[in-house]
Formats: sequence, structure tokens, C-alpha cells
Amino acid sequence: MKNRNILTALLTLFILIPFTVSSQNQITGEEAIYKVYNRAEGNDQSGKLVMTLINKRGDTRVREIAQFIKAYGNDEKKIMFFLSPSDVKNTSFMNWSYDEKGKNDDQWIYLPALKKVKRISSDSKGDSFMGSDFTYDDLGDRHPSSDTHNLLKEEIIDGEKYLVVESVTKDDDYIYSKTVTWIMPDKWIGYKKDFYDEDGDLLKTLTVKDYRQINGYWIITESEMHNVQKDHTTVMKLSDLKLDTGIPDSKFTERMMKRGHR
Amino acid sequence: MRKLLIVLFFLLLFSTFEVYSQEVEISGFARNYTGVILDENNEYSMLQNTFSLDFSHFSDNTEFRAEPRLTSNMEGDPELELKQLYIDVFFTSFDLRIGKQQIIWGKGDGVFITDLVSPKNLSEFILPDFDEIRTGLTALKTDFYAGSSIFEFVWVPVFTPTAMPDSDSIWNPMPFEIKDENRKDVSKKLENSELFFRYSRLGSALDFEIVTAWMWDDDCSLEYDYGSGDITSSHNRIAAAGGSFSYPLGGVVIRGDGAFYTGKHFTPDFAPANSGKPIEKNYFHYLGGIDYTLFDINLSSQFIQKVILDYEDVIAEDEIKNTVTFLAKKDFLRETLNLELFAYYGLNNSDWLLRPKVLYDLSDSVEIIFGSNLFFGDSGDYGRFDSNDMAYTKVKYSF
Repeated sequence: MKNRNILTALLTLFILIPFTVSSQNQITGEEAIYKVYNRAEGNDQSGKLVMTLINKRGDTRVREIAQFIKAYGNDEKKIMFFLSPSDVKNTSFMNWSYDEKGKNDDQWIYLPALKKVKRISSDSKGDSFMGSDFTYDDLGDRHPSSDTHNLLKEEIIDGEKYLVVESVTKDDDYIYSKTVTWIMPDKWIGYKKDFYDEDGDLLKTLTVKDYRQINGYWIITESEMHNVQKDHTTVMKLSDLKLDTGIPDSKFTERMMKRGHR
Repeated sequence: MRKLLIVLFFLLLFSTFEVYSQEVEISGFARNYTGVILDENNEYSMLQNTFSLDFSHFSDNTEFRAEPRLTSNMEGDPELELKQLYIDVFFTSFDLRIGKQQIIWGKGDGVFITDLVSPKNLSEFILPDFDEIRTGLTALKTDFYAGSSIFEFVWVPVFTPTAMPDSDSIWNPMPFEIKDENRKDVSKKLENSELFFRYSRLGSALDFEIVTAWMWDDDCSLEYDYGSGDITSSHNRIAAAGGSFSYPLGGVVIRGDGAFYTGKHFTPDFAPANSGKPIEKNYFHYLGGIDYTLFDINLSSQFIQKVILDYEDVIAEDEIKNTVTFLAKKDFLRETLNLELFAYYGLNNSDWLLRPKVLYDLSDSVEIIFGSNLFFGDSGDYGRFDSNDMAYTKVKYSF
């Protein structure tokens, strides 16, 4: 009887030990999303962004942008100069985003025809960016505290392990009811992301097509957003990427918006 | 001969810049603009073809820009004008711009309050695109930069008045003609130059501008000589000071724009009991506006008020003039289709100008606009053009 008790105790121990180790290593959905949010991408970066808009018939339209981004702690400033097509050439867009919870981004647009810098409402973040399948919000870093995160599962795809995290918005007015992100835990890259509309139906899927290690940072250089409801796609490619070059603060000013990309 | 010269000019430009095209950026557009009056006769109000070029060449600290524009209208020879022609020199903490340029100030949309520098082209009332209403003027502009602050000084050596419609134009607001000899122009000399200053700051909490000017009144004042029956137009020195701001409040942007003007000569009512001479008064002009998004529609509204101080009844204008503007805009089909409505409402005379338009991008280069300008009312800035309702199309090729 005594031996039987010892055997039961040992068996229980052997069964429990792996679970204990596993739960110690197990990361929560929120921690995973914060890891992605806080992934180092250099203090500043500049590059050329080419967006190819593809409709359901396969027709394409191309938009080219020069962009500059600089981190100020957890805040960020970004300026974009539209290079083509010709009807938007010399337009520039500047965004200052803040880590502070509840603080809206500041956004300005310079329209060369009007020759003045105009502040725009940050409520427009759900608007399409230059007619693409990306919204202004998709291009920014949504603060993790805006959503409730839940680790759904671990998944192996093509031999690569992914953490699948569901993020449900806390804001009823947000453009997406929830997102589901496939995260690469060794690089903390959100490799794939499904966006669900306000009715809970799948709206768009973002897939990373290429990523590279530049100056020691993992950088996404090509991604594709597919609108599954309208069956059109936008491919976004980043080239001429430069990191930590010391972009001056003066780059993110009204002066530069008016002067344009030089 | 003149047409030949214009054609030769453009050929020369193209051949010259082809050689240097590696260094010179060339863009521009070709546009057809056709408008029809909406009455039983359906006469054309506009049949215009425009070819506009934009040349720019830059090095590390300089830029040259030229915008020649060739326009042919229903009548007369094609007209060649230089919209802008200037040189920029960039220094570490200040810039210089010299030449013909458009200078746009203020936070108002479609109204001119602290937008004091560039004169207006009202030959087609306020119907041209906003960027085409402001004309270029020769100026020396310098901007000093300190963080997010800009100190801007503008010296305009030669005064340019508001361009008014021809006397036979349907947009001519005056029921009489002013003889050329009765137009008192401002002579072109140093003492008649204009000075403008602006301090502007763009920041997270607030964007604002403070402006001041010592200038000539772009709009003329009229004097009636009861003896000869002649009407004389003249421009007067005025000074202005004001400011504007835009302030983000949640997802809404609140805007304000206002200025105090002193020395304005107001045209009197032409009645025998009056002297017929302009009356000098000061006035305030200001607006409050709000920009917001509702159901994915971009909306904007402004309330504008102009108040003449120490008012006298003989002044032709109302003592207080109130106007409301409203803009609604929505994009469809990945921003290739755009619907827009801009409306002006004059509260004093209950008159309207409604400007609906549909813009469709046939491709990245070609856009087509169908629009209409509809006037309602019997009097006032908009009601007086009640018989000028028009529909129009614009087809524009950009390159």
C-alpha cells in the first residue's frame, strides 16, 4: 500500500513537472503583444515606400512615398512625402503619436495646391491611406492597452512556431471589433494579422512577405493587405531603408512639410 | 504673331529642358473646363483650355521654380501667365524666397481674413479652385525658424489689386462702368510697397498664427461725382492685425481666424442725399470653425462675421454681415470617386451658393469633375447672381 502511494506520488510528480515548467515559460497574450509593440526598430529610420493597389480584376495602381520616422522615447514622429502619382506629388503628411494612454495622434497635411499646412482630425484614422487597403490606423502602432489580449493557441506553420493572440477592442467605436495576430516568438514580429469588422466578420488579412535583420533590428520590408470582403489587395514594399542615421528633429516640422522631399 | 510667340516659347522651354531633364523636375496638367448657364438659352459661361507647367530645379541649398500657364478662353487670344517664378535659398535657420509667388496665410477655408498677402482673382467670382483664386505677386519673403516657431517677413514692392470681372462679364457685381481714366492706380514706387509679418507655431496642443500688415486695400472703394456722373475707383492704405488657430479636441478640430482692419474706405450708397465719397472706418472680420468626421463623411462648418465699427447708414455694406459655410466630403471606390458639397449661406439676405461636385479618377493621370454652382436669393453676395446657375465639367490630365 505504501509502495503504491509512493508510485502514485511519483507519477503525479512526473505528470505535473512538465506542466509547471510549461506554465512558467508560457507568455500571456498581452505580454506577447507588448513584445511586438516594443520590438526595437532603431531610433530613427528612413526609406522609400511603394504601395501597389490591386483590384479584383488585377489592375494595379502605384503610389510612392518617402518616409522618415523618429522615436522620442515611446512617442514617435513620422513625416511622409508623396512622390507619385502626379496629382498628389509634393503632398506631405506628418503624424506625431503618443504612448500616453488616451492621447490622440496629432496629424497635419500639406496640400501644395492650397500652399498651407492643415491640421486634420485624428478621427480620420479609420480612413483609407491613399486609397489603399491600409488605414492610417493600420500604419501606426496601436497601443496594446487599447485592447484586451488573449493567447488562443500555439501553432506550427511550415516548421515555424507562432503564438496566436486575439485582441478585442475596448472601444465600441473602433473600426475593428477584434484582430487575431500570429506572432513569431523568436523575433516578435506579427507575421500575420486578421482584422474583423464591427459585425465580427473577417474583413482583411495582413501577411508579412519579407523581413530582414538590419543593423541588428528585425524590420518588415514587405507586407500585403488583402481585403477579403471586397477582394482587393495592397502590397507595401520598403526599400532604401536606413536606420539610426540621426535624423534631425527639424525634419518633423512645418518647414519640411512645405519644402518637400529633397 | 502673339500666338506664334507663345507656341515658340513653349517649344523652347521643352527643348531646353529636355537637355537638362536629368536635373529639372517637370510636372503639370492640361485641362478642359466647360460650363453652361442653367436657363432656357443654355449659353456657355466657360469654355476654357489650360496647359500648365511646373518646372523645379534644386540643389542642396537652393531651388528654382517656374509655373507658366497658357489659357485659351472662348474669346480673345490665348493668355500666357506666370503663376509663380521664384528662387529659394535655404540656410540652416532661415530661408529666403524672391520672385513671383503665392503666399497663403490663415486657418479659414474659402474665406480671406488673415490671408492678407496674395491678392485674389475674382474675375469668375469665387468659383475657381481655391488655389487659383490667389494670384502670385512679386515679393521678398524670409522665414526664420526656431524649433516649431516660424517668423516670416514679406516685402511686396509693387501693389497688386484684386482682379475683378470684365464689365461685360456675368460676374461683374457693379451695374455701371468705370472709365479707365477714373481708375486711380497705386503708383509703382518704393514708398508704396507693402509689409507683412507672421509668427506661426505648430505644436501638439495648438497651432496658431499672429499676423500684422501695412498694406494697400486689395479691393477698391468707389466715389460718385454727382456733377459729372463719373465713378472713380481708388485703393487706400490700411493696416491689419490678427491671428488664427486650430486646436484638436478629441477627434474634432476647432479653428478660429480673425483680424482688425483700420483705415478701410467703404463705398457709400449712391444717393443724392449722400456726398458720394468713401467713408473711412475700422472693422473686425473673424470666423469660428469646426472639422469633424461622422459616418466616414468629412464635415466642416464655419461661422463668419464682419463688423464695421462706428457705422454710418450711408455705407453701402451692412454694419454686421454674417455668413455660414458648410463642407461635406466622402470618398468611395478606394478614393477614386469623391462626392463633395460646399455651401455658403448669407444670413443677412438669406441667400445661398451651393457647390455640389463629383470627382472621378479615370486613372492616376486623368480626373473628371461634374459640378454645379447654384445661387439662391434676391440680393446679397450670392443672391445677386441668382440667374447665373451653372453646370460644368472639368477634365484634367496630370503628369
